[in-house]
Amino acid sequence: MMAFDSVADFLQMGTHGGFVWSTYGLVLLILTGLILNTLQGRRKVIRQLKKRYLRESNS
Amino acid sequence: MTYLSFFKAECLTLFRSKQRVVNALLFFVLVVVLFPLGIDPSADFLAPAAGGIIWCAAALSVVVSIESLYKESYADGTLTQLVVSGLSLPWLILIKVGVYWLAMMLPLLLLTPVFAQMLFLPSDSLLVLLATLLIGTPGLFLIGSIGAALTVSLKQGAMLMVLLILPFYFPIIIFSTAAIKAIQFGLPYGGLLALLAAISLLALVVAPVMTSLCIKASVR
Amino acid sequence: MSWIWFHKLGSPKWFYQWSSKWATAVFLIGLLATLIGVGWGLGFAPTDYQQGETYRIIYLHVPAAVLAESCYFSLGVAGFVYLVWQMKMAPIFIKSMAPIGAAMAAIALLSGAIWGKPTWGTWWVWDARLTSVLVLFILYMGIIALQNTLEDVTLANQAAAIVSVLGLINLPIIKYSVNWWNTLHQPASFSLTKKPTMPMDMWLPLLIAVIGFYCLVAGLAMWRMQSEILLRERRTQWVKEKVMNDGV
Repeated sequence: MMAFDSVADFLQMGTHGGFVWSTYGLVLLILTGLILNTLQGRRKVIRQLKKRYLRESNS
Repeated sequence: MTYLSFFKAECLTLFRSKQRVVNALLFFVLVVVLFPLGIDPSADFLAPAAGGIIWCAAALSVVVSIESLYKESYADGTLTQLVVSGLSLPWLILIKVGVYWLAMMLPLLLLTPVFAQMLFLPSDSLLVLLATLLIGTPGLFLIGSIGAALTVSLKQGAMLMVLLILPFYFPIIIFSTAAIKAIQFGLPYGGLLALLAAISLLALVVAPVMTSLCIKASVR
Repeated sequence: MSWIWFHKLGSPKWFYQWSSKWATAVFLIGLLATLIGVGWGLGFAPTDYQQGETYRIIYLHVPAAVLAESCYFSLGVAGFVYLVWQMKMAPIFIKSMAPIGAAMAAIALLSGAIWGKPTWGTWWVWDARLTSVLVLFILYMGIIALQNTLEDVTLANQAAAIVSVLGLINLPIIKYSVNWWNTLHQPASFSLTKKPTMPMDMWLPLLIAVIGFYCLVAGLAMWRMQSEILLRERRTQWVKEKVMNDGV
């Protein structure tokens, strides 16, 4: 059972919809950044190591 | 080398490089002067803020000046000598920090009444301020010594060291200024002084060991 | 009790293989639980009779604040483990955890500020709890700065461990100051040991969100540790094989 009667009510969040939704947006941004940073760091390490190993085996 | 000879050597080195201590004291004076210049020179603002201003200035001058505590002996290799001397490194560190504390805090304690007067600190608060400085600053120096040892191998380590160490000063500053505020409101402040003493004692136990760990990792 | 797991934990290779099995699953469970908890809290939990709908920020604020502290606690334990046993995994853990903890502290601070505006009327209050989270954030940033500045790995390990342990000693002092200062901030609204003061259907989604955040952080930490292990163990044969065979 929803605590709100309509979608408009849900987006309104009583009187302070802007505060609630901006918090959720901000947190989403930070968490996505953290996750992307983690995955990217992983890819970067693997790429780096691969290059290094190839260079070593060639020389 | 014995502990006593190390103590004497420390005193002598510090006496010969007294400009370092003078610089730290000048820095203290400058930070204190910043507040009336930058915020408000009236007694209404300064009298209640004086304790906090003096404490912030003291903490800043300690953290900035203690950064170079091990720099010189690291550069000329005497720090390595200390590690391999066969004496207990934590005790040597305690002596070094203690000598530095004496050299810097004695003049600072003498300066404090002057600045307390200039900042319109009520005279009954002055004694509490001096007491907090006497009890609290050993904590500042001991914790600062850990930071100095952490960054001893870095050429540009000052900023990092301030960044790392200043947060650990917060409880000391909070309890000291709270004690000064307490006397201004006529509240008991003995408990706060005891807390300060507890923090300093904790630092006394923990800091020399931690500092010696950092130094050992740095001089390898 | 057997201590084999503790010794196994000291081996980066063992940890890498163990965490490869679990990381994705834990992360996805965390993501799911977070979405359920937050979604439930956002749309289905009843309206608070005092704060209206604004209280729904709690479903992000409290998990992040709990995690910011838990992460720091875990850093302190890892630092202690490193100082006592010189365990290889501990500094890897510290290095991987510090940015996550910093992000959690940042979330707690920002969401708290936005929550504070409509309820207290100001973005920021110099109260002990807020200040202590700010200090926590600065401590995290200090550890990250330390790791980035010190180039010597052994020294960086030692330094990060020492700062973590010091911070752990400092945390109760900060906590004590929270109880000692009597301020605007309400007492902790979430506790596992005490009976919840909020109604069940508000508290349950919060619990799910907290568990979700824990799993999310655990998954992310495992991934970050894996990258760090690969980097640090790059001279070993197993890493080389793993990277070259794309079995990562």
